[in-house]
Amino acid sequence: MASHTYTPMPDQGAKASVLAYLVTVAVVLLLMMVFGLLMRMEQARVITMGASWFYELMTLHGAGMVGIAGLAGAAIMWHFLRQYVALSQGIFWANLFLFLIGVVMILAGVLLGHFHGAWTFLYPLPGKSMGMWSQGAAALFMGGLLVIGVGFVLLHLDIARALIVRYGSFARSLGWPQLFGHDDGNAPPPTVVASTMVTIVNIAGLVAGASILIMMLVNLYVPSFNIDPLLAKGMIYFFGHVFINATIYMAVIAVYEILPRYTQRPWKSNKVFLASWTASTLMVLFIFPHHLLMDFAFPEWFLIMGHVIGYMNAFPILVVTGYGALMIVYRSGIRWDMASMLLFLSLLGWAAGVMPAFIDGTIAVNYVMHNTLWVPGHFHTYLLLGTVGMLFGFMYYLGKPDEHTQDALLDRLAFWLFMVASLGFTLTFLFSGKESVPRRYAEHLPEWVPYDRIGALFALLVIAAVLVFIIRFLTRLGRAGRDYPRAPLAYAGTA
Amino acid sequence: MAMNRETHRVARIGLGALYLVMLTPAARTWLEATMTGHMLLQIPLLAAIGFAASRLLPERWQHGLLTTVGGAVPCVAMAIFASSYWMLPRALDAALASPLAEAGKFLSIPLFIGMPLALAWRRLSILGRGFVWSNFYSMLAVLGWLYIAAPVRVCNSYLVNEQVHAGWLMVKLALFLFTWWLASFFIGRQPAPREDESARTSGNASQTHLA
Amino acid sequence: MKRIARSLTATALVTLMGISALWWGTDGLQAFTAETARRTALLGSPRALPAVSLEDQDGRGFSLQDYRGRLLAVEFIYTRCPTLCRSLGMAFRQIRDHVPAAALGKDFALLSISFDTLRDDAASLRDYGRTYGADGKHWRIARVRSEAELKQLLKSFGVVVIDDGLGGFEHNAAIHLLDRDGRLVLISDIDEPLKFAESVAAWL
Repeated sequence: MASHTYTPMPDQGAKASVLAYLVTVAVVLLLMMVFGLLMRMEQARVITMGASWFYELMTLHGAGMVGIAGLAGAAIMWHFLRQYVALSQGIFWANLFLFLIGVVMILAGVLLGHFHGAWTFLYPLPGKSMGMWSQGAAALFMGGLLVIGVGFVLLHLDIARALIVRYGSFARSLGWPQLFGHDDGNAPPPTVVASTMVTIVNIAGLVAGASILIMMLVNLYVPSFNIDPLLAKGMIYFFGHVFINATIYMAVIAVYEILPRYTQRPWKSNKVFLASWTASTLMVLFIFPHHLLMDFAFPEWFLIMGHVIGYMNAFPILVVTGYGALMIVYRSGIRWDMASMLLFLSLLGWAAGVMPAFIDGTIAVNYVMHNTLWVPGHFHTYLLLGTVGMLFGFMYYLGKPDEHTQDALLDRLAFWLFMVASLGFTLTFLFSGKESVPRRYAEHLPEWVPYDRIGALFALLVIAAVLVFIIRFLTRLGRAGRDYPRAPLAYAGTA
Repeated sequence: MAMNRETHRVARIGLGALYLVMLTPAARTWLEATMTGHMLLQIPLLAAIGFAASRLLPERWQHGLLTTVGGAVPCVAMAIFASSYWMLPRALDAALASPLAEAGKFLSIPLFIGMPLALAWRRLSILGRGFVWSNFYSMLAVLGWLYIAAPVRVCNSYLVNEQVHAGWLMVKLALFLFTWWLASFFIGRQPAPREDESARTSGNASQTHLA
Repeated sequence: MKRIARSLTATALVTLMGISALWWGTDGLQAFTAETARRTALLGSPRALPAVSLEDQDGRGFSLQDYRGRLLAVEFIYTRCPTLCRSLGMAFRQIRDHVPAAALGKDFALLSISFDTLRDDAASLRDYGRTYGADGKHWRIARVRSEAELKQLLKSFGVVVIDDGLGGFEHNAAIHLLDRDGRLVLISDIDEPLKFAESVAAWL
């Protein structure tokens, strides 16, 4: 039986590239949150901007948030993975550079060209705008997504290269020798296992996404090249779901790396851990049909597969991670500061966010729930409280002046505000969904407006809290690049 | 060494013979009778002959050639352009209609696709190879879809159902190659021992011993 | 450093040559298929056609050159054709009905040429003409007398006929226009007969 003991790891400062990623993420995140607030205010009838603007903002909000979730995850993964394998700095910068080009193209397509076919660019909507936007606008939007996708493919190829140079194969970096054979305790650390999983699924997802984008661009200019709409939808959701799923699997690396430093207990890559990551590697690739459960034209086996795998995939990593975190924290004498609190909260947010998806993943429920605000409720819970929580935890960790610094009252207030406001915000979505309020509607019936107002208020509070996090991070930017101990030692453990 | 020279000689003769056989009218008519045979058998075979033939050149020549043409990147670019040209339906029709175009095909595919790839391949990092591979199968899949979805007969020399058939084959081939490529990452090779150590000293969260 | 410079120059050179080759090979990214190529090639450069001896539905011999001084619409068919040639026949009929009636016969004529020299005899040509309302004068149905001349004629038009494996043929169907000097000047899609009739009217 292998036993694991903790060996202290030095806290590394972030490379300039990682900081550039985080600053980009912070700026775009804040802007997209403001767009989100404006959308809620429009539905709440507090402001009147008109349906066209609403859908333009919705398109930007979706594309922008998915993009920065990916970027944030990539920054966290890259920062920690660099300790184990030799990654290319140039490729990492290239990805950011391509990302920014893509963002400019998307902004131009939406704000100048008035494209508003939602970030999921479902075929054939981009090409059939009924005069609402031009061919060029749709091409700019889809071209922008393509450029961003190419950047991420490059990044993942580099990570694949580095993993293979160090571990020989994905089988080894997923810890298969230890999973399927004798656990000699030499399994790769959690960061490596998670990065391998994300690399595998994202390469597959991005290739599918790039293919459908190219097909739709061809179709845009030569409409006689028809695409099977069901195929198009399948490919888009395969890409979209894998990519957004992968963001949290990248961001969770912050939990695996930072919590052990706080408690001086190792995060073990034991058989259960390895098994759940391997299982999820496969299942994430087959879970997307739960977006298609309402499409009765799809073959039945396909939907049933989505249903079953959706159920099964909801838990392994989450349970393993949640349980692992509890084991690490339990009676460890951990010192709670902003970083550790946010990371712990993010696991709760992830767990809470999965529940509504689990319910929505049931075909009978899906028929009535999927097009309501229930679904935005689900993904806002797990993205805002989960992924974004991990991101801010990572930012506070990087910016922590030294091991002993106490957090200011303002930060601690912002943490509780963030938690309460995010919960309020997402619960308003979920409750509206329960009341059958449709999603993606610019205008709401008078009966729904009260929920929208409550939602808008909570959104405003979320932004206030996030503003504190971001400003704090920006003022500590200079320190974040230096190498020094950050994680406070735990009080003498009682375990 | 002699053994090596002997195998080289056999390989050279074999390749030359294969090329000559492919040049015969009978083989050409047979392979070019269908779009699938033309695109997915004859053209790849010609590229493979070019690839293998370059490998048989003396090591020093391969090296010198690669240096002369400026390294791996221009080689890959050349292969991409040449293969794009031969993916044009028009090029297939031309090869059937004009002996000159046919001769151009038999020369340009081994020389401009097979050879540059062979020269560049060893010099490419995993990242570079990944780029070439992912480019290749995504191009193959999109081309396949274009052939399936084309509203018109793209080649005057081939039946329209032949074109759909070839398109589906390309899509399936692309999916197969992608899966195979991803799977190859799982088989991999022995990890590098030296980097192993340097990574270990830079830190490893859960160091473990057997109790 | 020198190595990188060399690599960059070579890549730039290869890219330039590659783009030029693709540009040249597709007529400036216009024609990706042989069919569009054959159509765009005519723009601005009419093509002379060989003199071949034809025979119409009544067995009378003639040649394309006999139509000099008139515009001539030409289509290639085989009379047993169950698909495209039917559209071609209908398209020809629409063209005939839409060009100015005064021009018909005097300034403009139509000609359907069968490429199934072996099986299409005078009787089947007559049948085909009757089906689509060809009058046998302004719109004649013809066959080429010799197989060798047929090959020459198809090649000059750029028409490729292949066996469909079901006893029929697949062929690139289009409507061709010959100018008053008997040169091929326009090839247009079979699903736009009215547009073709308009361009004929413009040429008159």
